[in-house]
Amino acid sequence: MNQAEVSKLVSKLRMNIKPEHRRLKNLKGPEGRIDKLRKTVTGLIKFERIELNINRGDEARQYAERLISEAIRHGDCHKPTMDMANFWLLEKQLVHKLFKVLVPRFENSTVSYTKMIKAPKAQNTEHTNKIVLELRGNPYPDLIVKQPNNRLWIQNVLLDAAKYDYRQSKISEIAANIGKDTQLSSSSLTANNKGGTQKEES
Amino acid sequence: MFRTILNKLNPVELTCGFHTTACLNEVRLLTRLRVVDNSEIGMRAMAEGKPPKVICVYNKQRVGFIGDRVMVAIKGQKKKGILVGLKQTQKVKVPKFDSNNIVLIDDNGTPLGTRIHVPIPTILRTILKEKTHSKGADYTKLLAIATKFV
Amino acid sequence: MAVTLRKSTELFTVAKWLTRRDCRTLSSLPEKAKLASLEVTEKAETSRRRPKKVNPLLENRHAYPEFLPDPNPKWRNSLREKLERADMLKRRNQIDIPEFYVGSILAVTIADPHSQGKTNRFVGICIERKGCGLRAEFTLRNVVDHQGVEVRYDLYDPTIHKIQVLRVEKRLDDKLFYLRDALPEYSTFSFDMDPEILPEGTPVPINPVKVELKPKPWLERWERQELQGISNIEQYLTKKDKVRRELRKTPWEKYDLMKQYRKTIPIEEQTDIWSEVNSQLQQLQLARKKSTRKRTFSAPKTQLG
Repeated sequence: MNQAEVSKLVSKLRMNIKPEHRRLKNLKGPEGRIDKLRKTVTGLIKFERIELNINRGDEARQYAERLISEAIRHGDCHKPTMDMANFWLLEKQLVHKLFKVLVPRFENSTVSYTKMIKAPKAQNTEHTNKIVLELRGNPYPDLIVKQPNNRLWIQNVLLDAAKYDYRQSKISEIAANIGKDTQLSSSSLTANNKGGTQKEES
Repeated sequence: MFRTILNKLNPVELTCGFHTTACLNEVRLLTRLRVVDNSEIGMRAMAEGKPPKVICVYNKQRVGFIGDRVMVAIKGQKKKGILVGLKQTQKVKVPKFDSNNIVLIDDNGTPLGTRIHVPIPTILRTILKEKTHSKGADYTKLLAIATKFV
Repeated sequence: MAVTLRKSTELFTVAKWLTRRDCRTLSSLPEKAKLASLEVTEKAETSRRRPKKVNPLLENRHAYPEFLPDPNPKWRNSLREKLERADMLKRRNQIDIPEFYVGSILAVTIADPHSQGKTNRFVGICIERKGCGLRAEFTLRNVVDHQGVEVRYDLYDPTIHKIQVLRVEKRLDDKLFYLRDALPEYSTFSFDMDPEILPEGTPVPINPVKVELKPKPWLERWERQELQGISNIEQYLTKKDKVRRELRKTPWEKYDLMKQYRKTIPIEEQTDIWSEVNSQLQQLQLARKKSTRKRTFSAPKTQLG
């Protein structure tokens, strides 16, 4: 039974958040955890795509999203937000990047500002806990290929045509057999055969 | 000066190393209480700085709740008393006091003092009435000497 | 098309950041970076488009904090919260639950089967407010006959006859537990206190009083809690206390964004709740104002022991 805090207002994060924070194995306690996450968030903002383990990555993702949402809400003239950005981003030029590049990029966005994609696992292990964390709108090519089989690609066009031709020949064969059963004239048979060969050439 | 100590000390060393509960403020064996009536023994004991200590709580839980009878040791004597105010967090609407208060009584329930100068919770009326029915003594007499109800 | 254009410009900006480590151009678009005048206008534009208007409905969260649900997601249930809010409004239609804060002085009259007159009145300063929904509670503290007394009440308890605010004010802290270790004069309020009515529309005053503590032993380590409302804490601290206070400090906690987030209800959810509840609360507020205007002075009633 807790009463919600009313002194500060926060925007909703557009991702699933677990009820408890992860402690992230570290020797220095809560301060060490925050230090670790600071470095990760700085790296994410600097490189816009980083690969790391899922636990630290998810925590850093939450903090990065919170930082960006605070920057969007308050802008760069708001002292507490600037102080917060100064704390979280260890390289000071990234503070400028946050307010001048990322805020205009994400201002009118209705989805999350970051994306978390599962990375392939190392060979011969069962550990599947590598992820790629990236900011949306980053300059690198997409990791998720959206349409692996485009019908307009040349190999798919030729394959489609080949399948069509095969089907047509089968249909004509069946039709010819039906003609044989009902004892039609041989002229119709030969005409069908000629039609079949003509289609294959085209 | 503090920063150097901070750097050397591990956060693990700052903890006590075993689990503790929150402060419960219970009245149990050997708890020191505050006598709030104007009985001679009580006032002398409080003035000397030797408050009464609980020897027995007449309760199945052995933890005193409001309106419970207790046996206390004052100035080398054994006396009985009723708990009229507890430091422990109470239920809603039951008042909580800044000290554990007791009114000294004898075996028949008659209080040893003539006035209680501290407010008393109204819930005592019901509790003491119920207690009176179960035993032979009449515990509601102390309500007559109370000055203020909270 | 626009997306590809944007990507190419962003590629350019990212390349700039990577190549020129100490580049100081603040503009996001490479063409405008060349013209200094345009940079200035862009700065003005960015500062102009920054301050977003806060929804006025959100101001309700200070006066009615119990309408917001529990921030812990394990204890959230949207249906139960809706039903609770409806019940809270029904109760507020029956009885006037005024706006008060920690540090305000209240007089509460409850139906008491144990007392002689069947009602019981207690006056005190509100030292804490906790709980959410129908289980919202507040604690009043007073010193009666040199004995400190604290009573907890449920805000939405049906046995409460009347909650009267004698003085509406805020204090420098959220919880006033240090009053238990302070000199008794800071917690004494007369039971015959008259209600102090503020003129309409004034903001809630913040009482900047700094309390003096009694010498140690204290109930809690007040020096470690960053309390604004204590004046003489330093004189009672030993060297060891001061050293341990420094060691125990957690300066990174105020920057912990997720900790703040998990304790608050986000704006989008709050606006939903307040839009549901606001019209009724406004009606109740108007009714209360009408009753205060109509009320004429009545002679102070004699208090029952």
